[in-house]
Amino acid sequence: MVEDFNLKVPSVQRYSIKTSEQKIYKGIPSSSGIMIGRAVVIQPESIIIPEHTLQAEQIDDEIKRFNSALDAYKNDLNRVIANVKNDEANLSAIIESNVLMLEDPSLTMPIENNIKSGYTAESSIVSAIDKLKSFFKTTKDAILQERIFELDNIKKGLLATLRNQCFYYAVAKDAIVIAKSLTPTDVINFRDAGVKAFVTEIGGIASHSSILARSFELPEVIGVLNSTDNIKDGDYVIVDGYTGQVIVNPTSRILESFQRKKSAEEEHKRELGEIINLNTETLDGKRCHLYANVDLPEEARAAFLWGAEGIGLFRSESLIVSLGYFPSEREQFDFYKQLSDTAYPKELTIRAFDVGSDKWAEGLPTREDNPALGFRGIRFLLTRKDLFKIQIRAILRASINKNIRFMLPMISSVQELQTAHSIIADVKNELDLADIAYDTQMPIGIMIETPAAVLLAEDLAKYADFFSIGTNDLTQYTVAADRTNDLVSNVFDTFNPAVIRLIKMAIDAAKANNIPIGICGEFAGHAASTAILIGLGIDELSVAPPILLETKNRIRSLNYAEANEIANQTLACSTSSEISNILDKIITE
Amino acid sequence: MKEVEITVLNRAGLHTRPAATLVKLSAKFKCDLQLIRDGFPINAKSIIGVMTLAAEQGCKLMLRADGSDEEDAVAEISKLFESGFGEI
Repeated sequence: MVEDFNLKVPSVQRYSIKTSEQKIYKGIPSSSGIMIGRAVVIQPESIIIPEHTLQAEQIDDEIKRFNSALDAYKNDLNRVIANVKNDEANLSAIIESNVLMLEDPSLTMPIENNIKSGYTAESSIVSAIDKLKSFFKTTKDAILQERIFELDNIKKGLLATLRNQCFYYAVAKDAIVIAKSLTPTDVINFRDAGVKAFVTEIGGIASHSSILARSFELPEVIGVLNSTDNIKDGDYVIVDGYTGQVIVNPTSRILESFQRKKSAEEEHKRELGEIINLNTETLDGKRCHLYANVDLPEEARAAFLWGAEGIGLFRSESLIVSLGYFPSEREQFDFYKQLSDTAYPKELTIRAFDVGSDKWAEGLPTREDNPALGFRGIRFLLTRKDLFKIQIRAILRASINKNIRFMLPMISSVQELQTAHSIIADVKNELDLADIAYDTQMPIGIMIETPAAVLLAEDLAKYADFFSIGTNDLTQYTVAADRTNDLVSNVFDTFNPAVIRLIKMAIDAAKANNIPIGICGEFAGHAASTAILIGLGIDELSVAPPILLETKNRIRSLNYAEANEIANQTLACSTSSEISNILDKIITE
Repeated sequence: MKEVEITVLNRAGLHTRPAATLVKLSAKFKCDLQLIRDGFPINAKSIIGVMTLAAEQGCKLMLRADGSDEEDAVAEISKLFESGFGEI
């Protein structure tokens, strides 16, 4: 069947005489690159008829079919666990619990018993899992939603595996996947199957699946409304992950122009390799520091190979996520010291544990109604001083290379920063008394990710050695839109002029107080935003390792004076579409 | 047979991740392990069972172990609960 699909791939020549009408759809570019290929439209799962029954002689085979799907699905999940890392590591705990469920006789026995009573594997799964769900419904429990959700996931996964038996993801080989939405599991499996690009109806550029698409360098356009209806299997499609255009059944003229664009892109990738050792500076000589966001020492090594000038953000909570518990001082020290040695003599910025919201709590709901507005970042650390002190001690002890910077997340008041300073001073005293060496001058900075921190930036700057803007959270808190909520993903817009103006205010406050200011959110690596950020006078950009060179190249082709002019234009805009128009012009140039 | 009362200390309760940790730990022991809430026993080696407990913070459970390594099992599982599954 896969081969059959391949036969349908139209060649350019064949295509030029085809008469289907060209259609152009516009979405949001979320992973850059151009891809041309045939479409595979992923339809929602087919409907199961629970009443369908088996003949007695079919039952043994049906149990075998169920068990082989069970094994295949477990293998799939284990393969996903092996692939999950960094930002996505908290997902592996959830997936692991799903594997435990698949191994639990409390789940598998009722299904097998249903099959023995003459029901198909599909209907047996549906009725057994729905029965379990109804049992949970009788418990009065706030974690209920999570349970039901996990069981539904298992149900869908088993049904999909039964239906496809390893065929499902394979249809994406050399194809462009058109889907309503994608989970991180989908992205990984489609990548393994050899997908070329993604087009989705729903999603956000900061969602886990988009982050994965970018790290796999697979072009993606999101927010293309009704694309699973409008685009048909086998349609020839151009995906432009730079502009967000999706062109279906292109005319031969358009097709040729995109093929030229694509060869230019490939040539460009070869050229990028040549700028690794060059300075990050604009054409007119304005220097900027290009750092990398990393979670693992191996990633840091890769980042330095790609010319990173330092680590602008190490998210220390990734340690908790990968270990599953709060690491001891010893474990933390070993890890930080190893990372510091890897980075040396370049700088390493360690952000204190930022647990809560989408990171710690994703899929692991706490009892908060609004985790993003809740007990997280510095709020958690100041409440759990014992844990905070262990981390500070480990970081100070690891700081003897004098290349570590310490950064505090989610600051929203001056008191929080003052309290953190006094706790750090306490720990330094303890180390002095114990005669343990550390970097007495270790810079202590803060994340600027709440509107409050921006408005207080002048005051905060007096107690901070550096600022780092986290654009995802700053956007979410400024526009009051939960960035994990698809229903408001259109409101979560980093190009909302309010966000740009806040960034400008933070930069101005840093300049006035002579402290460096960087940016480490998704926005820093966004194709269109580099010019604005450089123009606003940002000192450091910290991006994911795969886009280091692309970002450096963009900075090297900018003129600071022009970037400054662009930044001023965007500051004068009152809508994000005006800003998009300005940026569209830059991108197409 | 050995029985002790244990309390769920971590804020989020026995949600997916702690449940998985508990089941993986329980599976290491040979003895039968049950958690009892309000008189209803569940198998501590079954993730579905632990999920049906719906144990929130502050919830008190009876841990019942029966088998050759019951002492170790009770000690280690109590320790896991006392540590709040590393989430306190």
